[in-house]
Amino acid sequence: MAGRRAAVKAIDWAAFAERVPPNQRAMFNALKTRSDALSARLAALPEKPPAIDWAHYKAAVAKAGMVDEFQKKFSALKVPEPVDTQTAKIDAQEKEAAKSTAEYVQASKARIAQYEQRLQTLRNMIPFEQMTFEDLHEAFPETKLDKEKYPYWPHRPIADL
Amino acid sequence: ALSAPLLPSAPAALRSLPPPVAASVLHTTRQLHTTQQCLAPLPPLPEKGGEVRYGLIPEEFFQFLYPKTGVTGPYMLGTGLLLYLLSKEIYVVNHETVAAVCILSVIIYGVKKYGSAVAAFADKLNEEKVATALAVKNEAIKSLETAIEEEKKEQWRVEGCSYLFDAKRNNVAMLLETNYRERLLTVYNEVKKRLDYQVAMQNLKRQKEQDHMIQWVEKSVVQSITPQQQKESIAKCILDLKALSKSVQATV
Repeated sequence: MAGRRAAVKAIDWAAFAERVPPNQRAMFNALKTRSDALSARLAALPEKPPAIDWAHYKAAVAKAGMVDEFQKKFSALKVPEPVDTQTAKIDAQEKEAAKSTAEYVQASKARIAQYEQRLQTLRNMIPFEQMTFEDLHEAFPETKLDKEKYPYWPHRPIADL
Repeated sequence: ALSAPLLPSAPAALRSLPPPVAASVLHTTRQLHTTQQCLAPLPPLPEKGGEVRYGLIPEEFFQFLYPKTGVTGPYMLGTGLLLYLLSKEIYVVNHETVAAVCILSVIIYGVKKYGSAVAAFADKLNEEKVATALAVKNEAIKSLETAIEEEKKEQWRVEGCSYLFDAKRNNVAMLLETNYRERLLTVYNEVKKRLDYQVAMQNLKRQKEQDHMIQWVEKSVVQSITPQQQKESIAKCILDLKALSKSVQATV
């Protein structure tokens, strides 16, 4: 009976719930209810069925050998364990998820580096009273007027004024 | 800054003080770019212009003459120059002088009365512009900081994805286990049902045999009562009843 009783790991639902972003709450709740239903069903079933009282039946049933035959067949019977088809799929999903997670974390770190850089330039900026327009364009590149694209004053589309 | 009106009115009292040098207003220390290429940014422009006496003559002139002629030197020079120009008629007093005096007095009156108000208004305009720019900058800084926080939080969130897969695997394991137990239970139930059926069948058969036998015995007994026996038993019963009634009459 080695394949049986794949360990049911204890899951910290509270910590899990903390990490769920608000737009995936519904899915998380569905998963939790399903999990709880399954564990309730599991807990309701006894681990082993009760033993059959062969002695009583041997005394009660008149037909000779029937009870013995039943008993022999019963103890020889092996109930096949259900085959696990999904765990492999889940593992594959997990690998994929780990990959995409790593990518996302990479991208996120790159974004953070960008933000940090911008933050540094903003913090080290000279005060506005001492700036020229060139200094302003350095600190806030979006203020720079594109004189190649719009060669005539006001150097930007009229709608943007 | 040293206020200009204060000095000319009390020159004698101030002779004891050292010559007034306010470094912020006497621009002797300002460095200019003397060579072509200088990458360092210029120092910031000064807040106020250089100090001036009577709105016309810069303070540096008085400082320049102070070592040789003292405090009154430039005034003497000025008075002398003025008298020279007037007496020698180098400057001629005519109608234009009157016009100049009137215009200048009006202008000076206007500036003295409303100058500070206008300056404050212009300063306020500038302040508003600077304040808007500062607000933009602060908001940019704050939004960047919040963005960094959010990114860190998302990274933390994403770490929890292992929970999800553990939960899924648990579900699968639970389902398998449940299924297996159900199967065991079904086997047990079926076997028990069959055995019970056998026992119940036996009991039923025995009961039916018993009932049938009882009925058959009764029927045969009833049949064996012949008419002759019936008459005799009825006569005996009547005699018994008469005897009984006699004994009852006696007791009553």
